[in-house]
Amino acid sequence: MSIRVRFFAYFRELFGGKDRALDLPEGASVGAALDLLCDSPARRVEIFAGGRLRPQIVVMINGAGLPPSTGEATLLREGDVLAVFPMMGGG
Amino acid sequence: MNETLYGFHGKILDIDLGTGDVRTRPLDPARIAAYLGGRGLATRLFYDAVDPLCDPLGPDNVFVIATSPLIGTNAPTAGRGHMVFKSPLTGVIGTSNSGGTWGAAFKSAGFDAIVVRGRAASPVFIDIAPGRVDVLPAHHLWGLDIHQTTDALAAEPGPAGRPKILCIGPAGENLVRIAAVGNDKNRVYGRCGPGAVWGSKNLKAIRVAGREKIRIQDPERYRSGYDQALYLMKQAPVTKRLLRELGTSGLVELINVISMLPHKNFLDTIHDEELLEQVSGETIARTILERAGGCFLCPIGCQRHTRLEGADGRIEKGEGPEYETVVMMGPLCDVYDLADITRANYRLNELGIDTMSFGGTVACAMELSERGLLTAADADGLDLRFGNGPILERLAVDTAYRRGAGALLAEGSFRLAGRFGRPDLSMSVKKLEIPGYDPRASLTQALGYMTSPSGACHLRGGYAVSLAFFGGTKEIPRFSLLQSPIAVRNMQNKGILQDSLGICRFTGFAFDVGPWARMMSGVTGMDFSEGRLEEIANRVAALERLFNSEAGATRDDDLLPPRFAEVPISVAGQDRVVSREAQDRMRADYYKVRGWDANGRPGEDLLRALKIAGRTP
Repeated sequence: MSIRVRFFAYFRELFGGKDRALDLPEGASVGAALDLLCDSPARRVEIFAGGRLRPQIVVMINGAGLPPSTGEATLLREGDVLAVFPMMGGG
Repeated sequence: MNETLYGFHGKILDIDLGTGDVRTRPLDPARIAAYLGGRGLATRLFYDAVDPLCDPLGPDNVFVIATSPLIGTNAPTAGRGHMVFKSPLTGVIGTSNSGGTWGAAFKSAGFDAIVVRGRAASPVFIDIAPGRVDVLPAHHLWGLDIHQTTDALAAEPGPAGRPKILCIGPAGENLVRIAAVGNDKNRVYGRCGPGAVWGSKNLKAIRVAGREKIRIQDPERYRSGYDQALYLMKQAPVTKRLLRELGTSGLVELINVISMLPHKNFLDTIHDEELLEQVSGETIARTILERAGGCFLCPIGCQRHTRLEGADGRIEKGEGPEYETVVMMGPLCDVYDLADITRANYRLNELGIDTMSFGGTVACAMELSERGLLTAADADGLDLRFGNGPILERLAVDTAYRRGAGALLAEGSFRLAGRFGRPDLSMSVKKLEIPGYDPRASLTQALGYMTSPSGACHLRGGYAVSLAFFGGTKEIPRFSLLQSPIAVRNMQNKGILQDSLGICRFTGFAFDVGPWARMMSGVTGMDFSEGRLEEIANRVAALERLFNSEAGATRDDDLLPPRFAEVPISVAGQDRVVSREAQDRMRADYYKVRGWDANGRPGEDLLRALKIAGRTP
């Protein structure tokens, strides 16, 4: 299946662009998608700590937060759009 | 320096501009214990001094600016002042917070708070230095804009040291209901029309300088809170680098991701992403940003010092735009041109107008125009349709001088829409324009706007965006009817404490009130446990509400405009409104959570329990 991942703030520099298409096996999870993206130590250390998503990283699917019950184990579906960014506030 | 007090001077400066009477009265330490400082202290002093039924633009209105015991220490961001007044825009409590350096300078002049009453017979400014306060003629300053006034007063003989200046521009002088008070030129006390209150008092400026210090009672205890605060600010990406790199406008694209970014006077939340990117924090950083800057003792550095090149090659420099300015004068007006927004932002800073209420009012005018209700004849021949970005600068100037269409905009969106028979087209609560976060995208944000003491303000009402983004224990479902009332109370209480501590809201992205509690306790020697702070926040919220009730506000003022119940937006594939039933339910539950009665009024029992005494003028 194909999904799209959008990056914001300094993650654009880290991942080399504003967005990226990913091909994943059916039934892949959010964690698996992020794992695939983190193909260098620099990327991995920004996203994961101790094998878990860092608490200051926000990942959203189609404009909604990850369900607290499943978190990064949430399964993806064809056409999903992931947004990945560091926790941000302001305004 | 008072040898018995820690963290504050124990002095309130009280000035009656009508009589010219200038006096210093003692600040009872019990007031600090009960109200902290900043917003809490200013609210108490204001409540004691003002008739809630006064005309906001009459001589009986009073404004108070207060600092906190942390100001004068090296606590990060501790330099902010908080102003409280009766708002000429809303008719309820006006409450506005500003950074820069003025708060720290005022404290160093030897005072904790200033109360200003009455109306001067002719224009004046107040000059404050340790041991000397003068009310001086300001005829030569009247008519100058905020930058000109600041430069003129800084150059005039005055108190020793480098003076700091608050002042109004032409908008305040002309009693524009959305006029701001300028602070260090480009910081502002923006919301609720404080500039018009100053204008109505014939007060042009307050200049301060000083070298008075405060004492810290328990430096080790203070230091433990300080060290933790600084450590956590260096850990969190938002305070460590994001706000410095992108400014608050770094949120523009993210708020669009969660379908919360309003468009065309809140008709929808749909944007062309390529257009939106043109007004993002990333684009600002890449194109017009000269440097980031910070307020007093601020390690965050969110200020945008920018430059624009005009068609004639002329370079203009200024500050902004911030997130709210971008959204309210941009997409809310269907404008996506960064130069149009920034240029108007510069003018509004100079003339002294709140960019948020201005943007909301222009968006309202544009909708009235598209519906054929407000015609070119009403607007001096101007085309007020959505998307007309180049017109923003002209409208900013005309609003300050109440010329043409500006005379309509100067009254704010509620009076503007009412004049054309459609008050429902004003996207406001308590007549204050709704900020750049659509309430349909979060019930928590909706209830925050409904119950904010000053009208629709994301800072006084609660900043639910953090709840939408942040994971872990802070996660509150965006659409939970049952959890929103408690979440809103908690957000509002945290905001009350931050405003009362004299520190920046953005520290809250890195840590909660724990380190502040230790710093406050260390500075003052008083016990400010987290539980005590919570009690203080509840006290301030009840007092603000009591004032509003006495000023005539009722539960009917705690509702969103009908659009938000009737016109859905799409969030994550679902249609979302904030139905009237949802509003009624959340409002009733919120009153219960606060301990207020069914009409939203704090009762005698609660006032006793919170030890809120009657007025002590």
